[in-house]
Amino acid sequence: MAFFRPRVTDHFRILLPQADLDFAIPFLDEDIPLYVDPFLLWRSPSQQDQALHISLLNAFNHLGYLCANGQAAQAVTTLIAASECDEVGLGSSASRQGKRIGEAKAREILDLFKHIPQYNRNGFRHFEEIQFFVDGISKDRISDFTCSFLKSFLIDFTIHQCEQLRIPTSPSGVPQLYDSRKNLFVEAHGIQLPINPRNGSPLIFVPKRWLRFVPWISYDEYFEKYCPQDEISHRPEELTRVAVLNYNRDHYGVIETYVKAKERTFEDCRNDPLFAQIPITSAKRKFAAIKKLSTGKSDGADKRYEDLMGQLLPSLLYPQLDFAEEQARTDSGVSIRDLIFYNTASTPFLRDIFNTYGSRQITMEMKNVAAIERQHVDQLNRYLADEFGRFGVFITRYPLKRAELTRTIDLWSGQRKAIVTLTDVDIAQMVELFESKQRNPIDVLVKKYVEFRAKCP
Amino acid sequence: MSNSAQNAPESVLRTEEDVRDLEKLIVQLQGLHTEISILGKKAPNDGLNLFKLKLVNNILAKGNSILTGHYKPLENFVTFDESTVPTNSDVTMVLALYIEQAERFRSNNMVYDRGWKYVVNGAASQIEGSAPTKIGTERR
Repeated sequence: MAFFRPRVTDHFRILLPQADLDFAIPFLDEDIPLYVDPFLLWRSPSQQDQALHISLLNAFNHLGYLCANGQAAQAVTTLIAASECDEVGLGSSASRQGKRIGEAKAREILDLFKHIPQYNRNGFRHFEEIQFFVDGISKDRISDFTCSFLKSFLIDFTIHQCEQLRIPTSPSGVPQLYDSRKNLFVEAHGIQLPINPRNGSPLIFVPKRWLRFVPWISYDEYFEKYCPQDEISHRPEELTRVAVLNYNRDHYGVIETYVKAKERTFEDCRNDPLFAQIPITSAKRKFAAIKKLSTGKSDGADKRYEDLMGQLLPSLLYPQLDFAEEQARTDSGVSIRDLIFYNTASTPFLRDIFNTYGSRQITMEMKNVAAIERQHVDQLNRYLADEFGRFGVFITRYPLKRAELTRTIDLWSGQRKAIVTLTDVDIAQMVELFESKQRNPIDVLVKKYVEFRAKCP
Repeated sequence: MSNSAQNAPESVLRTEEDVRDLEKLIVQLQGLHTEISILGKKAPNDGLNLFKLKLVNNILAKGNSILTGHYKPLENFVTFDESTVPTNSDVTMVLALYIEQAERFRSNNMVYDRGWKYVVNGAASQIEGSAPTKIGTERR
């Protein structure tokens, strides 16, 4: 099977879980669904991050200076160049390719320096405020502007991380690199950066500590809690985003109040983790729901079982196993759903699975059946190839019957393939360990593997 | 759990040191049993963490060296395998069996001679101990 959702580290065979790395591991084919929030740089206790925020604002406010001095065309060019940063791969694109803003949108943004006296006089303190005045500007654009203006630092950060982790780099061209002396985007060549093997384009890493799903200063929150909606329109259904943006332009004080409130509560502003485990109570509730489900397909029990397991297991197995994705496939006309994990070989057991069975990813096949049958074992057996290596897991309700257990043992004897089964009893113990933290829930999988190997000849 | 068949000779107390080791073993087993029973009552199926498991295994290993022959608490059991995630109730049960056998061994090696004394090398010593609690099982 092909590698699912490949990441840079997987391609270069760097066996480290996301939790142990300082940067968000970029995917090769898609974006990371997180955004750089400039507020995290502003609120950071680190002098370096604060200085980068100042440098970011200087770069942005310089555009206002250019406009005021008759160089609006230059400002427009710079702003358009800054509006996309494909090398970092953040956002929601499925192709790692974004579109820049148009000239009209750039002019609309730059007009803020003219139309709002506070910006004209003092410039921006938080440039993400532009989302309150210009339609079509939101978290992705704010993140791209930030990355573009700080690209030089991000390149240094990437090179440092690559040296530490021995990720191979090649001399690459970066078409738009912000030069903070010239206040211009220039073309740079020969920069040592890791390369995306899919398309040969350079990759830039972003520190995890800068990432959030939604910026701290956000239009949606402003609209919901701070915007005087009654004042703008007495008929709420007619309150459009454009009307609010127009109102904001003439009432900067409302925005200022919101931003001040957000600055006051800066201590609550934290970066979002790339993967968040579900809370213990939620894990227990999900398992209780699983236990109540009947086996088979009646009332959609199989779908429900797969959904609940899909929510539960990635949390139970984190951080030892990074979750890649839930995958649906069809084998012999039967729909099968698997959970696929990256094997980062972060524990002796996982290292053993990696070395012995060649598993770079681990597949867990979910089966809400009363008994695993011969055909199920065969289906999983056929699937165990290439990146999955020769190790697979059944997630099911009850232990394997003697005939099927013998079949898995035969598979080990004949082809050195290991198929381990996690039943409701094992999941119960995993949930218990998840709560008590006495051992890692993945130790239950180790136990099952040890038990399986003890039965093998 | 690790398995091994042992044909060790019957336990006997040969020196004063052996008596001290036995007493220490009983106290340690009881201490562990008390603590882990509390965990076991709260969450019988929860796994014991590795630190505690290593302590338990050390004391069980000491027990295995003292309780041999007929006093061996469990056939085919030596210590817990760390990779098998033994639960609190598993550990409590094994500790209880070790305590029983340790006390049986002690009781069988006590004699009343103006107070309860340990039998060392087949004769009453001057080492006093508490009254035996497992009388009638086997006397040496």
